[in-house]
Amino acid sequence: MDKPTEGKKPVKKQGPIRVEAVVPMLIVVGATVLYFSLFFDAHLRRGLEYGATQANGAEVNIGRLQTSVFKATVLIGDVQMTDPLQPQRNRVQIGELRFGMLWDALLRGKVMIDEAMIEDVQIDTPRKQAGKVLPPPAPQSGPSASDKMLATMKEEFSGNVVGDLAAIAAGANPSEQLQQIGGDLKSDAYMAELQRSMDETEQQWKARMAALPRGEDFSALRTRLGNVKVKDVKDVAQLQAAVKELQAIRDEFEAKSKPIGEAGTGLSGDLKGLQTSFAGLDDVVREDVRGLQARMKLPTLDARTLSRALFGMDVLNKVQQARGYMEQARQYMPTKGAQQQAKPVPRNIHKGRDYAFGHPKGYPAFWLRRALVTSRLPGGRGLSGEIRDAATDQSLVGRPMIATLKGDFPQQGVAGIKAELVIDHTTQEPVERMELSAARYGVAGRSLVDSPNVTLGFAQAVASASLTAELRGEQVKMQVSNRFSDVAFETTAQSTVVREMMQASLAGLKTVSMDAGVRGTWGDLDWNLSTNLGDALARGMKRYLQEKMDEARKRIQAQVDQRIAAQRQKLTARRDELESRLRSSLADKQAQVDKLRADLEAARSDLEQRKNAATDAQKQKLKQDANQLLDKWRR
Amino acid sequence: MTLILKQLFALFRLLNSDTGTNQIAAGVACGLILGFAPMLSLQGLLVFLCMFLFRIQIGAALTSAVFFAMVAWLFDPVSHAVGVAILETESLQPLFTTLYNLPLVPLTRFYNSVVMGAGVMSVLLAPLVFFGSKLLIALYREKVVARFKSSPAWKLWSGTTFFKWYSTYEKFHG
Repeated sequence: MDKPTEGKKPVKKQGPIRVEAVVPMLIVVGATVLYFSLFFDAHLRRGLEYGATQANGAEVNIGRLQTSVFKATVLIGDVQMTDPLQPQRNRVQIGELRFGMLWDALLRGKVMIDEAMIEDVQIDTPRKQAGKVLPPPAPQSGPSASDKMLATMKEEFSGNVVGDLAAIAAGANPSEQLQQIGGDLKSDAYMAELQRSMDETEQQWKARMAALPRGEDFSALRTRLGNVKVKDVKDVAQLQAAVKELQAIRDEFEAKSKPIGEAGTGLSGDLKGLQTSFAGLDDVVREDVRGLQARMKLPTLDARTLSRALFGMDVLNKVQQARGYMEQARQYMPTKGAQQQAKPVPRNIHKGRDYAFGHPKGYPAFWLRRALVTSRLPGGRGLSGEIRDAATDQSLVGRPMIATLKGDFPQQGVAGIKAELVIDHTTQEPVERMELSAARYGVAGRSLVDSPNVTLGFAQAVASASLTAELRGEQVKMQVSNRFSDVAFETTAQSTVVREMMQASLAGLKTVSMDAGVRGTWGDLDWNLSTNLGDALARGMKRYLQEKMDEARKRIQAQVDQRIAAQRQKLTARRDELESRLRSSLADKQAQVDKLRADLEAARSDLEQRKNAATDAQKQKLKQDANQLLDKWRR
Repeated sequence: MTLILKQLFALFRLLNSDTGTNQIAAGVACGLILGFAPMLSLQGLLVFLCMFLFRIQIGAALTSAVFFAMVAWLFDPVSHAVGVAILETESLQPLFTTLYNLPLVPLTRFYNSVVMGAGVMSVLLAPLVFFGSKLLIALYREKVVARFKSSPAWKLWSGTTFFKWYSTYEKFHG
């Protein structure tokens, strides 16, 4: 215990409660209130912009944000979401977004919005400055099967088939580029493999032939057979000895001749395999020719290829968009099954894993019960729609998310929009359905082909479009249709022939239709795309190009054939020689076997006859003896 | 910043005096809980409130919070494993369901594996840290401070006019 001493101030004993902390506490509370009054909105706005940018894949700007802590309301104004494919334009622009949250849910760490208002929604609006586009996220564990499939399709669709055809029409002869085929033909590798395979077969058969019984073995047996007394059999004992010796020779012969028979069967199989491998060379040559055609940019002149080249990328973009939205929906609104599945270690161990312990009357982490979308413009035109039950846990809410939208975007020249989106994650199998149609929208300056030799596009057209998609688990079912009417084409070409060809192909074509169907699983999609523009181009171009292309193809085929001819001939000759040698060698042995078998058979037959004769003689003698005895007895 | 610096100076003064062992040890224990808890969480706020209301050495709490936050970061995989084991315990599910749907409790983020694991570990370690700190402070005062004060350098320094002037100043202004 410290005692007050002279010259020192008496120390006042202090209790456990810090009474003097009232002022610092008040300062902290005041600072908090000040922060929420002055800075919170700005910080929240920046946080929301960052989060929305990450989700959108391109810059999202929020013009203003106001919150009321006591009312738990939020007002967000002038939201601009950059289109990642066209950074100069907004994908969606929202005039104002208002909503209030329930304090009851907020106190439980959840966000529950009973009703939200989304006003003045516009699409495809210009931006003052191009928005920043984020790089695509790096795959976490290598590309999936669906990534690979979509990458392959992208490679195919991004090829410039029409441009390549125009180049040929303009005078380029692709086969002339084929002065010398590089050393990377698949046929070369295949023939080297054939050579190796034949070497192996020859070595194997050499060893196998050496292990087969030789002529001496059969000669020894023949000698033994010659020593068997077949003709001079005097009694039954000698006969029995001869039969026994013959059986022993026969057993030994069977043991020795069996590998020869098996070798015959094996050789037939191996030679058949070689024949099949040689037949496969033709397929590889065809593959090489196709590869060289592709390398020489010699496209296939058919409507299907042209249709895919013209509109494939459009359809692919829609499929990729649908996949992106689906993945986000499944990430943020997991199905009941996905929640119950064994959870892997979280990607960032420092963030841990969140568990949900909801009960039937509880709140999910986020629930927007209803949002009204409106966009009123002078003249009564505009947009109206509704979003219902957007929730992070649909199994808790018990209802799927449904979003509907209908109306017009007159400023963008789009009329008759009808859209319905259903995200049903209430069951274990996630289902996303979308139906979207636009009755009429204007198209101007849309490019379809852009190559140095030719460009083709719609200078102007009136279009309608519809899209239906159903994604169920891993299954994809998509149907895209576009109709372009009052079409004015815009085409340019340096070559007069190409210009003529394009004009002739497109003459009288005022309406363009495109129908695409995509079905299957994400890893194996079946694409079906047709358009009358592809048909018209194929018909028109054939008149100009068919002869040239046939000639080019023949030349490529001839060059490949010439390149592999010597090696192919050498291989064929070697195969024939090997086959002949092995068959001949085996035939000699088989002949020896057959001859010895015949001799054995003859000896056996001879002995059999002698045995039967001896038996008959014996029987006759017994009968005579018996008769004599009977006669004697009767007398 | 002034408040924090003042608290830190106070910590050094207390550490080198003969009093305030419990205050410093309680501060270190509070720092442990603070460092293991998420930065913005209900439990963090409660610990702060305790630090203000009770005579706990705030400088010790803040210093140790920084230190223990780094330790907690290193131990996150362990915390995750502990949290998963607790949160997936079948018999505790009704309790967690009730807590999850109560007001305010979810603001502790107890439903997160790392928060739960680190929280449980910090609460279990807090008494050990409290008594361990007391022991270490006593050892420090006995071995380091006493030896330093009997060193010739300290004697030379304490004999200077400046030190005498500062001692007088401190006596009056504390």
